[in-house]
Amino acid sequence: MENFTALFGAQTDPPPPPSALGFGPGKPPPPPPPPPGGGPGTAPPSTATSAPVGADKSTAGSGPFYLMRELPGSTELTGSTNLITHYNLEQAYNKFCGKKVKEKLSNFLPDLPGMIDLPGSHDNSSLRSLIEKPPILGGSFNPITGTMLSGFRLHTGPLPEQCRLMHIQPPKKKNKHKHKQSRTQDPVPPETPSDSDHKKKKKKKEEDPERKRKKKEKKKKKNRHSPDHPGMGSSQASSSSSLR
Amino acid sequence: MAEKFDHLEEHLEKFVENIRQLGIIVSDFQPSSQAGLSQKLNFIVTGLQDIDKCRQQLHDITVPLEVFEYIDQGRNPQLYTKECLERALAKNEQVKGKIDTMKKFKSLLIQELSKVFPEDMAKYRSIRGEDHPPS
Repeated sequence: MENFTALFGAQTDPPPPPSALGFGPGKPPPPPPPPPGGGPGTAPPSTATSAPVGADKSTAGSGPFYLMRELPGSTELTGSTNLITHYNLEQAYNKFCGKKVKEKLSNFLPDLPGMIDLPGSHDNSSLRSLIEKPPILGGSFNPITGTMLSGFRLHTGPLPEQCRLMHIQPPKKKNKHKHKQSRTQDPVPPETPSDSDHKKKKKKKEEDPERKRKKKEKKKKKNRHSPDHPGMGSSQASSSSSLR
Repeated sequence: MAEKFDHLEEHLEKFVENIRQLGIIVSDFQPSSQAGLSQKLNFIVTGLQDIDKCRQQLHDITVPLEVFEYIDQGRNPQLYTKECLERALAKNEQVKGKIDTMKKFKSLLIQELSKVFPEDMAKYRSIRGEDHPPS
């Protein structure tokens, strides 16, 4: 019994306010429960004068309200303002989120040779491994002199096939190739684009007579199958050709 | 700022091109191409020297590690920027929603407290400098 009263007596002292944590006065300390035998410390804390020791300075003159804090200033930047607009990032937002960004790395680096869309862990070329196992540095880059160059004498002839795979490029569309040329601003001879256009036109021209012939055959077949409505078939054919 | 990156990009592009040409020479090596090979090897050394010089200008640049993960997976790093912006906007909207809800709660609480404790709330408003009860 003596132990219990001793413990309870220790509990009557209010714990220090958590102002040290930087959260201000926070919750008021709970009123101590009345001890069974009464005694010191049973009176409830008065409202106005019993502000805890660590309360804000603003509590002075706050009347019946203790634990009152100053309201945050309206000039403070919070999440209630559009932070993207605040930091002038609308242009970047529209650029990246307005349209669909292509998934592959080769779309970002179209000029880079090799199969760069494969995961780096496959051929041990990941950037992560460069950070985890940094290369040994220290020496400067010195040009390779005559005697050292003799170490780079290679066997004549083509490489074995398994090594040649390194030079395989991912399939690229023609329009991308054009874009690449314009981006890098390489001196491109003026004939090349016109030549390619010419080839395309030629291909079309070559294909056109074949198509016409096939269409004619189809028409003939249709006319044979439906002799009652010869006009329908021709109108359909004409409309389809106009669409194409 | 952009000049530094342009400089590095230029050197990297040259270096990649030299490596590509070296690959072509090596892929079908002929005795006559020995001189070209030696020249290319030295171009690569000078290319590495140029890239190393760029390091001094870019020591204050920080790159998020997540970008490297995108590149290692063969994905476009612009997707990282896109996802960052989308996440920032979503979080911004979420916080705005919380702030607006708390404001509504505050006004409703003051309204209801004014009904039950009119004198105390009048004092409160005078301390806060609010003459009129919030609607």
